[in-house]
Amino acid sequence: MTLEIKGLTKQYNSQKTGLSDYSITIDKGILGLLGPNGAGKSTLMKIIATISKPTKGTLFLDGKDIVSNPDFIRKILGYLPQDFGVYPNLNAYEFLTYIAAMKGVGGKGLRQRIDMLLEGVNLTADAKMPIGTYSGGMKQRIGIAQALLNDPKVLIFDEPTVGLDPEERVRFRQLIAELANDCIIILSSHIVSDIETIADEVAIMQSGKLIIKGDQQDIIGQANGQIYEVLLDNSEVADFKMRYKVIDTGRQNDRMRVRYINKDNNTVFGSTPINATLEDAYLLLTLNKA
Amino acid sequence: MSYILSIVKADYLQRTRSYAFLITLAITIYVAYLFVPPHHAIYSTLSASGFKGAYNSAWIGYVSALMTTVMLSFYGFLLVNNGIKKDIDTEVGLIIATTPISNFKYLLSKQLSNYLVLCTIVVCTFLVSLVMFYVRGAGYSLIWSDFILPYLFFAFPALFVVASLAVVSEVFLGKRSVLQFMAYFFLCGIVMSQIATKGNDIPTGFNDPFGLSLVTSSVKNHINTTYHQDIKQLSFGFIFSPQKPFKIFTWNGIDWTGIFIFSRLVWMTFALGLVYFSSFFFHRFDFKQVVSKKKKLVKQTQENHQSFISSGGINISSLPPVVSNYSISPFIKTELLLMVRQGNKWIWLLNACLWMAMFLVPYPIAYSYLLPVLLFLQVKRWSDLTTKEKTNRLHYFTYASYRPLLRMLPAQMLAGIILAIVLALPLIVRSAILLNILPVLNIMNGTVLIVLLATTLGIVSGSSKLYEILFFLLTYCVLNRLPVTDYLGSMHHGNEHTLTFIILGINIILAVTGFLVRSYQTRHL
Repeated sequence: MTLEIKGLTKQYNSQKTGLSDYSITIDKGILGLLGPNGAGKSTLMKIIATISKPTKGTLFLDGKDIVSNPDFIRKILGYLPQDFGVYPNLNAYEFLTYIAAMKGVGGKGLRQRIDMLLEGVNLTADAKMPIGTYSGGMKQRIGIAQALLNDPKVLIFDEPTVGLDPEERVRFRQLIAELANDCIIILSSHIVSDIETIADEVAIMQSGKLIIKGDQQDIIGQANGQIYEVLLDNSEVADFKMRYKVIDTGRQNDRMRVRYINKDNNTVFGSTPINATLEDAYLLLTLNKA
Repeated sequence: MSYILSIVKADYLQRTRSYAFLITLAITIYVAYLFVPPHHAIYSTLSASGFKGAYNSAWIGYVSALMTTVMLSFYGFLLVNNGIKKDIDTEVGLIIATTPISNFKYLLSKQLSNYLVLCTIVVCTFLVSLVMFYVRGAGYSLIWSDFILPYLFFAFPALFVVASLAVVSEVFLGKRSVLQFMAYFFLCGIVMSQIATKGNDIPTGFNDPFGLSLVTSSVKNHINTTYHQDIKQLSFGFIFSPQKPFKIFTWNGIDWTGIFIFSRLVWMTFALGLVYFSSFFFHRFDFKQVVSKKKKLVKQTQENHQSFISSGGINISSLPPVVSNYSISPFIKTELLLMVRQGNKWIWLLNACLWMAMFLVPYPIAYSYLLPVLLFLQVKRWSDLTTKEKTNRLHYFTYASYRPLLRMLPAQMLAGIILAIVLALPLIVRSAILLNILPVLNIMNGTVLIVLLATTLGIVSGSSKLYEILFFLLTYCVLNRLPVTDYLGSMHHGNEHTLTFIILGINIILAVTGFLVRSYQTRHL
């Protein structure tokens, strides 16, 4: 299964561009989307989910044009939007039955499928309570369950771990890893560690454009040799920040440990080079393009 | 004070930057045009039997100001009674609750923004009335005070009261919109009956927030004195009646008395006092206080129970296979469920009483009054048929589903129609027993009309407000036996079949418009 995107452009108005000549090929497995706010991640996901039409460009799923034939992907699509809502007067069973109807899923096994999904997202005990009484995390879990109702082959998760507690995040990551054998999974998150843990490939976006796509090691390799750490006095930090792009700071005894990007490999007294992470690479690449 | 003005400004801009408001404004401008009908028109707005006023600046200024005041007092309430609800829905209220703003200042800012919204509409009708002076031009000269003073002393104070009542009703009746409507219109009914029974006393304005009695009494006295008549009452509103011979009289307005102007100030102070009083009962977005202890305990137990449950996650391979089913019946079921659960349970008791009464009361009363009222009580259920996806942020799922247009929208329409027909069933059955087939068709046609009006206006405007206002006006006109608004076919018309075909035609136009606009929306989020 391959999703091929070519020259995708989304122009909202003369001033605002969501995507600009965006091309990417996505195969089975997990693609993590990274990018600052306004990079175009949600726009891309909405277009793939067929709820937004591109101004220009093509989208082909296994050779079939899904811009002109959106129902082809809708039958096999699982989509968890970033900012979704629920009908507060329905309980979890009623809500999932409703979403199943939207997806064209029915039959005798539906009730059992919903039971198992609710069990899987740990909502069985509250399944008969109106969803309006649910916490943010519980609503997010209902969102994950609905995405899996139709045995999807293309799964789009926009910020799926928002509101989940650490245990639920781990469980969600395990679930995605299991699904990835058989599907295309596109996942966006601001939490780089979520992407780092589960994504087979990573695509970094900025200003509606694709900066880089590749496996994690390749992307991290772009930052190797440019990430350093240094211990500074509190009074030195502000001045240091003026000269270098600081990624992270933390206290160590009475001093500050500063992690920073040193693109030109200038010698800074007391600095030590360290292994780069995906977050470092992401910051470095988006900084380069800014 | 400056921060109250900032809140008012933001709130006002938020409300007026919507399609629903623009469409309401457009309709109001059209209605304002109708305030001054040609003398040969089949309706009048202020007249006495056998007499019509000459279109000088006093007549056009006073009548349009009065009509604006009374009409806007009715539907303006529906337009603005969601200021606090909006803050609850958007959760902005939670932020407001943490700020130092006092309850009174917050409610005052809501009242003022309500007032500004209404005043915007008043200014538009004022401008239309000036235009109408020249359109209906009868050669009289324009006297500015005849336009400015009635608007200043009738419309602006009355709408200040309406803006306050909208806030007060939101405080005391919360999200129970239908109860708010009912309470407000009951109150309006009492006030109007007070004005009507006032008789020949010189009106002071203390019992009349609209100022209506001042004008009607002046016009009545003028006709009686000039033409030696004994007219007891004037007709006010959109009054349809067969054309009869009439005399044209010249009326030059009223003398404004200090006591009347003082009465306006009293009404406005009273309205402010109500807002102040309600601030002591304002929930300040803390809804837990209204949850009973029992409910709290149940919830707590469930939360505790949940924390002991362990889950092994989802084993995808063990899930039952997916069976395709593209029928729309599950949607219809859910839409019906959502409509049934919508709103206060007490409304269902009222529905049941009216439904039973339609079997028992005389047929014409059931047809002309009970059915329109029963249908209007469901206004909230129908008004959000096609807007609830967006207000509940569920449209991402809906629009990404398989053939949303061919499955979801028909299901929503059908569910609404099923509810409407079930509610009209007593009358349909009675008509069928009496072998009156045309009323059966007209009732079904009419119920389809109000549902399609809800779905299409919801899709086009993106808001439920416009439909609520229009449905209210429609019900008001039907109860006042205005033939042109007879969507249920309960009045006598020249050609009985014409109405059936007209409503059918409107239904088809509404359905097609709804489909076309939703078709565009599903791909352009």
